[in-house]
Amino acid sequence: MIRINSVSFRYGESLRNAISDVSLTIDDGDFLGIIGASGAGKSTLVYSINGVIPHHFRGDFFGEVLVDGMDTVQTRPEELAKFVGSVHQDIDSQMVASVVEDEILFGLENFKTPHSEIELRIEEALAAAGISGLRDRDIGSLSGGQKQKVAIAAIIALRPKIILLDEPTGELDPQSSRKVFETLRELNERFGITVIVVEQKIMLLCEFSKHLAVMERGGMILNGLVHEVLQRADKLEEAGVNIPRVTTLARKLRERGLYSGAMPLDLDGARVMMREAMRDAAL
Amino acid sequence: MSGFLSYMNGDSILHRLNPLTKLLMSAALCASCFLTHRHSVVIGVIVFNLCMSYSAGGLKRSLAMSVSFIKLALLLFVLQVFFVREGNIILTLPLNIYITDKGALFSSLFSLRLVAATMPLAIMLSVTRMSDISNVLAQKLRIPYKYTFALTTAIRFIPIFSEEMAGIAEAQTARGVEFDTKNFFKKIRLLLPLCVPLLISSVRKIEGSAISAELRGFNLRTRECGYKTYRFGLRDAGALVLTAAIIAAAVLI
Ligand SMILES: Nc1ncnc2c1ncn2[C@@H]1O[C@H](COP(=O)(O)OP(=O)(O)OP(=O)(O)O)[C@@H](O)[C@H]1O
Ligand SMILES: [Mg+2]
Repeated sequence: MIRINSVSFRYGESLRNAISDVSLTIDDGDFLGIIGASGAGKSTLVYSINGVIPHHFRGDFFGEVLVDGMDTVQTRPEELAKFVGSVHQDIDSQMVASVVEDEILFGLENFKTPHSEIELRIEEALAAAGISGLRDRDIGSLSGGQKQKVAIAAIIALRPKIILLDEPTGELDPQSSRKVFETLRELNERFGITVIVVEQKIMLLCEFSKHLAVMERGGMILNGLVHEVLQRADKLEEAGVNIPRVTTLARKLRERGLYSGAMPLDLDGARVMMREAMRDAAL
Repeated sequence: MSGFLSYMNGDSILHRLNPLTKLLMSAALCASCFLTHRHSVVIGVIVFNLCMSYSAGGLKRSLAMSVSFIKLALLLFVLQVFFVREGNIILTLPLNIYITDKGALFSSLFSLRLVAATMPLAIMLSVTRMSDISNVLAQKLRIPYKYTFALTTAIRFIPIFSEEMAGIAEAQTARGVEFDTKNFFKKIRLLLPLCVPLLISSVRKIEGSAISAELRGFNLRTRECGYKTYRFGLRDAGALVLTAAIIAAAVLI
């Protein structure tokens, strides 16, 4: 479990807080999506969870973050990393090796995984990320989506309880983006790994995540179950989040008294909603 | 140019040599080009380089790479050949410009050396994984892993930065800046201001890289952490004998 208690952070040279008074609790096994406009403080929040703040980025840090009971201020980031695996925004700069296999090996070696276990861990991680065929490939020759999966595999090999991803689909086409999210869902459902993902594509978050947190100008303005958050269209718009078209449609239908069911989150939900609305309209 | 440093997967003898042997071999090949004063030896080194890359399955790439070096070598040849004034004149051009036999020999040797000496390292790097280089240097030469890792990271970032540069140049071209000018100096003048955004994005990338390494336990690493061990075998002994022979030939012929 992660507890974030009234956390504020101001980067060293900066004049204003990058995040202010953010509180959030993330339960084990959750799939949390974080959304917000550019500069809202999403990456800063991510860094506060994995201990990069305050250990790497200097500045004024207030509040408290507890990861599995460990205080991030008192725990070294590499200790936290055994529980929280992170994939940051710029994927190219995160690679430490030239070949996929070595990329996964790096963390395993550093954390002194018993040598007898290493082969198994590599195979397992490659399979979980769906890239078993890429083991000996040069990383420079991979596509953006494949690189994301390599980064995810390198984290999974360390068997963390939580994985934290900052805009993993930022440079991907819709199809590869979906594939990355399908991989994340699999990790969440099959291995019970808590997934926290910063993402701009609202439709993906609606479909895949359980909870949704919305950030605006350093603050957390909404957080709750996905369909609850989607009800607050006014606030979402204020935060610069594109509201899914099915949500807008649902709102309009509701206003006219044509629909009263649950907020649709995907195509199937939209189909159910439309059927009900058409039936009501026909009556 | 992109991709000429990238790893080429394979299982050739060259792939299986100890990384240290490969580094030594490429250094020796490079040195032998400068130890000799004979064209034939330098040409021999070039042929040897091509044989090596053929055996590793990378002949096409090596040839493509040599083409760009040959162009540079030709340019240097032309620039140099007119400046040597000693020796017998073999060709007279107007404006008191002439080429001497000494000049032609000297400049051609220089250009050949350039081509021959740049190839070995590029070939070796294309058949060696970066992490093997950093690990073998740490394990066998006892260089702290921090430094060997920094070295291989620097090499890995070359193509990333050149791609970045190309991206920035493309963005400027879209705004109407003409980078595809043939004028060398004009091109330099246009590219220079791009160094600032490149520098900023590079610093950011390096920062990101440091964070990512740190979060995967970089600071916990000790020399014993390496999973692979790098023993020297018969193959390496053979390669080293061959290397010694090449150096001897360069000195003696
Ligand atoms: N290293 C830094 N030094 C100083 N200020 C920073 C630094 N990184 C971010 N900031 C500032 O902190 C604020 C929040 O930035 P952050 O990167 O967390 O936003 P974000 O929501 O991740 O945005 P994006 O969607 O663009 O990634 C911004 O105003 C930004 O300018
Ligand atoms: Mg960000």
